[in-house]
Amino acid sequence: MVWLSNLFTGPHAQAQRLTKGQLQRISAWRRLPAPDLSRSHYRSRYVLIDIAIAGEDWQNGPLGAIGALALADGLIDFNAALQLSMVHPAVADDAARPPGEPLPVAVIRGEQRVEALLALLAFVGKAPLVAFHASFVARRIERVLAKALGVELDLPWIDLAWVMAGLFRELGDKQARMDAWLEHFGVVSIERHNPVSDAYALAQLLQLALARAAHKGFETPASLVELEKARRHLYPRA
Amino acid sequence: MSNQATELLVSACIQSLQAYPPFDRMEAESLRFLAQRVKLAHYPSGARILARESGVARTLYILQRGRVDVVRSGGDRKRESSSVTLGPGQSFSIGALMAQRETVGAYVARDDVFCYELAAEDFFALTQKSTVFNLFCTQYIADLLRQSQQQLQLQLAQRAAEQKTMNSPLSMILSREPVAVTADTPVRRVVELMASQHLGSMVVVDAERQPVGIFTLSDILKRIVLPGASLEQAIAEVMSPAPQTLPVAANAHDAALLMAMHRVRHVLAVDEGGRLRGVVSERDLFKLQGAGLRQIRHAIDAATSIAVLQHAREDVRQLALTMLSEGVGAQEITQFISTLNDAVTRRVIELNLDRHDFYGIDWAWLAFGSEGRDEQTFTTDQDNGIVFICTDIMDREQTQLRFLDFAREVNDDLDKCGFPLCKGNIMASNPELCLTLEEWEEKFAQWVRTPEPLALLNATIFFDFRPLHGRFNLAHRMRLSLLRQTQANPLFLRMLAQNALEVAPPLGRIRDFVTGDDPEHPGTIDLKKYGVRLFTDAARLFALANQVEATNTVARLRRASSLMKIAAEETAAIVDGFNFIQMLRLRHQHFEQEHGRSGDNLIRPDELNEVERHILKESFRQARRLQVRLKLDYQI
Repeated sequence: MVWLSNLFTGPHAQAQRLTKGQLQRISAWRRLPAPDLSRSHYRSRYVLIDIAIAGEDWQNGPLGAIGALALADGLIDFNAALQLSMVHPAVADDAARPPGEPLPVAVIRGEQRVEALLALLAFVGKAPLVAFHASFVARRIERVLAKALGVELDLPWIDLAWVMAGLFRELGDKQARMDAWLEHFGVVSIERHNPVSDAYALAQLLQLALARAAHKGFETPASLVELEKARRHLYPRA
Repeated sequence: MSNQATELLVSACIQSLQAYPPFDRMEAESLRFLAQRVKLAHYPSGARILARESGVARTLYILQRGRVDVVRSGGDRKRESSSVTLGPGQSFSIGALMAQRETVGAYVARDDVFCYELAAEDFFALTQKSTVFNLFCTQYIADLLRQSQQQLQLQLAQRAAEQKTMNSPLSMILSREPVAVTADTPVRRVVELMASQHLGSMVVVDAERQPVGIFTLSDILKRIVLPGASLEQAIAEVMSPAPQTLPVAANAHDAALLMAMHRVRHVLAVDEGGRLRGVVSERDLFKLQGAGLRQIRHAIDAATSIAVLQHAREDVRQLALTMLSEGVGAQEITQFISTLNDAVTRRVIELNLDRHDFYGIDWAWLAFGSEGRDEQTFTTDQDNGIVFICTDIMDREQTQLRFLDFAREVNDDLDKCGFPLCKGNIMASNPELCLTLEEWEEKFAQWVRTPEPLALLNATIFFDFRPLHGRFNLAHRMRLSLLRQTQANPLFLRMLAQNALEVAPPLGRIRDFVTGDDPEHPGTIDLKKYGVRLFTDAARLFALANQVEATNTVARLRRASSLMKIAAEETAAIVDGFNFIQMLRLRHQHFEQEHGRSGDNLIRPDELNEVERHILKESFRQARRLQVRLKLDYQI
């Protein structure tokens, strides 16, 4: 079925040739049931995703690293965490410190990249995904998965930036920056801009948001998706 | 699964925990074990994180951020509910987790709360793994015990305050309906009434029941018998007119003042209409004042008759209650009771020695059992014996007979003074317990060499001996020889341990407590058999195994455990548990006796309040710790 997956990836036809085992893992993931978004937050599994961009250009630069952390049944389990490097370490580290000459970015390719993304796929399963400025994160994640694995993720993304603004009016009606939320709630990111650390901080924001949401009657993942949709409709230019 | 991401989060967790005790001292490996197993949870303000209705505690909560209010439900008494606030680094509910039961209070988030949650099995694994954490939990339990004791003392103090004092209004002091006669009643009728109703005085009233006179016992002598007055004349002729009265709202001090001013022994309490409500006598007031330790001690030492000693016994009981309510610990009170009981016993012995001459014979009066351990409560029967030296074997029979005569009288007098004769005949008047030093030594040696059930039972009574009177060095020689014997017979100690393990703490798997199956007292726990005994048995064994000469349980535990390298904190928790059970016993016995029953040791756990039940359970758990130790030490 290699030809088929290659066909789906379309323009990214240079996608890595996948081994039989890898293809089996992908189809196993595909066979997973779609997420049930109608259960309570405290019976659901969310996966928080944060990414780091390598190099100077934070808009279009290559994906540097992915951090993922699960929030299952309302609890953060440190063992359910994942960090994936998409570029070679030395460069990725330096990229976090913009001043000075831009360094060449050495992207991790081949087998190593495929395995990393397969691990991400296995970790995420079919859980709804949560990120801050989700559309940006989603675009990058979905693109890299499609390119390397020929996988169309097709999972609901929940944007904490929208959801927090909808649930907490303390910081005004507009969307606030992530740092503003962290400061407001006293959540400390261990190492700001490290994707795992930020995912952990986001998970705590999500815990706060879930409690507030449940209190306001938004009791399920589906209702959060609806909340976000409604706000996007209300504030199209936010 | 250990990976880079987990590693980052775990070390961040370790760092945040390390800011607080006991995690700041915790072994690195254990701290990592903890951080790898916790999960972070969030609770919004007002959320009940843990409460009684959550059932048996299954999770340890360590506060990472935010504050939690601990709301103690004081049972049906609203005013008792108090609230404590926990902050970051503090954990709950260790007590409930350790005991595998529900929490007493409710834990409510005051603001946004983040806490690390550790599953019960990991919590127990951690207590096994980390000595620092184990110690922390042990100390925590000990603190709970102390807190509960304070609460208990508060209750007792309230009870004491409710009791009658010199500030009480007369309406509280008056106990019986006043008996009164009219002025035309014949003297004979009045005297008959006073005799039949044991009255010290008779009040004479008019038609409105307003007092017009009083006639007292001493008046009979002075105004009737000596002058040879007629018994047929009206009481109005011989009564003291215009008796001193006070409104019932006046207090005992007022009454005392009035008596002193007018040199009378009776004051009449009247209501607003001036009608008689009762009689307050000087004796009533005297009873209110109570006696202090010094006076009691003085009264005992100066007593020249058994009758005086009988009163002293009652004073001891009263003072012990006052001490109980003033917050004096169970250990001090039992020791205090023992000390004064010793004083009474010594005085009884001294009074009897006037009639028995043992000049030239070395002898000592021994106390056994709880008296031997300095742990007497309000109800104690006699456990005593005599040891003497007989230089000439030919004199032995004769000397023993003389001591037995003497002992019989002492035992009877002690009985009169409130120490009932021992049902098991463990008394000096028993020829088996009135022996020469060599015979005692031989008796002990035999029990130690052949530890059959009866010998083991005897060991639990007689090995706790203490000299009360006479040559104390005889008791010391007995002790040394006993310790030599037990040292040389490890089998005996093992059997003694087995014997001690026959009774387990009454802790239930499903219910909190296992109550006795005694059909006459269902739903009760015998705090002597299933409580105190567990501690005293273990303490005795520790003492014999480690050559500790003390007989007092707390002293034995403290001294032996330092020799056995048991942590001082652990011992303190055990001692607290023992003292708590003793305190419950004392309180129970006092209440029983207040209600005219002979104080037993049967308490109903259902009637204890939540905190007491909780602490009692912890106390039993301390007993279980002791037993586990015995099992390990003696491989049982």
